[in-house]
Amino acid sequence: MANLVITAASIVTPDDLNRFQFGMRFGRLDSVCQLGLAAVEALGIDFASQPRDQVGICVATDNGSLSTDVEYWRRRNEPGGASPSLFVYTLPSMVIGEIAIRHGLTGPTLCLMGGSDGLLTEAADMLRRDEATACICVYCDVVSALAAETIHLPATARACAVYLQRGVQGLHVLAANDRDIIPLCAKLCT
Amino acid sequence: MEITVVGCGAVTAVGQGIDSLRAAIRANSSGLRSCARFKTPIYQSDILGAVPNGGLVDDPVFHLADLALREARAQAAATLDKFPPARIGFVLSTTKANIEALERLIDGRPCSESAQKHLQAHGLAADLAATHGAAGPVQTISLACVSGIVAIQQAAKLLQRDAVDAVLVVGVDCLSPFVAAGFSALRALDPLGCRPFDRDRNGLSLGESGAALVLARGHGEITICGWGGSNDANHLTGPARDGSGLVLAMRRALKAAKISPRDIGYVNAHGTGTPYNDAMESLALRSVFGDECPPVSASKGMLGHTLGAAGIVETIICILAAQEQLLPGTPRLTAPADGAPTQLLKEPRAATNLRHILKLGTGFGGVNAALVLRHG
Repeated sequence: MANLVITAASIVTPDDLNRFQFGMRFGRLDSVCQLGLAAVEALGIDFASQPRDQVGICVATDNGSLSTDVEYWRRRNEPGGASPSLFVYTLPSMVIGEIAIRHGLTGPTLCLMGGSDGLLTEAADMLRRDEATACICVYCDVVSALAAETIHLPATARACAVYLQRGVQGLHVLAANDRDIIPLCAKLCT
Repeated sequence: MEITVVGCGAVTAVGQGIDSLRAAIRANSSGLRSCARFKTPIYQSDILGAVPNGGLVDDPVFHLADLALREARAQAAATLDKFPPARIGFVLSTTKANIEALERLIDGRPCSESAQKHLQAHGLAADLAATHGAAGPVQTISLACVSGIVAIQQAAKLLQRDAVDAVLVVGVDCLSPFVAAGFSALRALDPLGCRPFDRDRNGLSLGESGAALVLARGHGEITICGWGGSNDANHLTGPARDGSGLVLAMRRALKAAKISPRDIGYVNAHGTGTPYNDAMESLALRSVFGDECPPVSASKGMLGHTLGAAGIVETIICILAAQEQLLPGTPRLTAPADGAPTQLLKEPRAATNLRHILKLGTGFGGVNAALVLRHG
């Protein structure tokens, strides 16, 4: 089996969102999807040149859609009732759909809750099994001020991503102990 | 390396325990009924797949998952007893965990510490794993309505790479005003109750369930022999109309199982009862199987759409079908829609030598999944 290589890495915060051109629809996305899309955009990959049915997407998150959940439920009694457009984003995996639509990616997908540890292991396993030839790995976590107040969690908004491929030159050859995407992105993006 | 099912457990709208599910399959009965769980008529439909006496406890998702796991572990005791807790893994599938806790917190109603902890899916997974003696790796999958199928896939992967010797897999979601209000806002509920593949189908019915499997390496009566996933890359809430994404997932699962379409003896469809899903699924089946589509049925007219539990409880229905050599029917189906699968099963039918079964799932975010099971 050829080496698995990280060919691009990124870290983004809400301050980075206006660095990219996403079009009108971007403003209607929830903050998890906005950050996740920005992290993938910051990888600088030309997906049109990739075998798009062979690119997987693996996402990990701690708090998933919690911030959108809080906003959706707090606003349910507003005129018009519960918002269908907010409800759509009350699934932690919707960022996968947004990434897939933007880049036309039809490979396999996975969404893990409960932290960033293990994300790279599962992405590497996907490639080793030939389920995909490359994989976008994204860690994305948002706790809005409103959610922080409601659930008593610290507020946060951050995302990072890597592009993992087989047998190419790149930034970093994935090692068996490279399980956690956050410290790896911090190292590669320094 | 073969991955075998050594235990099953389920709590659903047709009752507690695998025997109640088996009886409902034989009778082709439905657990959907008009239910006063929520303050209808603010929601589109009060026809729900509610667990009898469900919704009355403080921490309903933990309760349903716990019941299902107890049953599955009891069936699998001979296998589980061979392994230390550190070699037993745990995979949870859920879309909203204990979302009811959020409703209570926002509304200022009492909410226990554990109920609040289980608002977070991984908090729920950690406590269920600890309660059920699984001290190995824990994974929490939340991939919309294919979560259950993907959880089974992830459990099989943990076994294949020798990270564990056995895995407890549980899917759970409960009925909640949060979810009912959302699907109502999307106008996705059938006011008359869901009727998968029916010409008059008009939406889904929500259900709730805890459903559990125990998987281990080795040869057994039922093996997990392939899976495939894909994304439509098309629309967040609607399926690709041509079914191309689901076709990809099916072909990947068949390839992984090293079988051809003609080897499949039964398909348990996702079959939500929404106009677009069932039409798309019918097209996708025709693309893969051509004019020789095997018998197909859908289980959401029996249980409702149980979201994060759906892929697991409907896989259990496939397992029971294989064990009983009885192809399940499609409860609440009256008249098949134009273009529905040619061998759509309205009623249960005896099978002869049912060996390979295909379980399908699709979900919001364009996700698709397929799982191949083998009997014998």
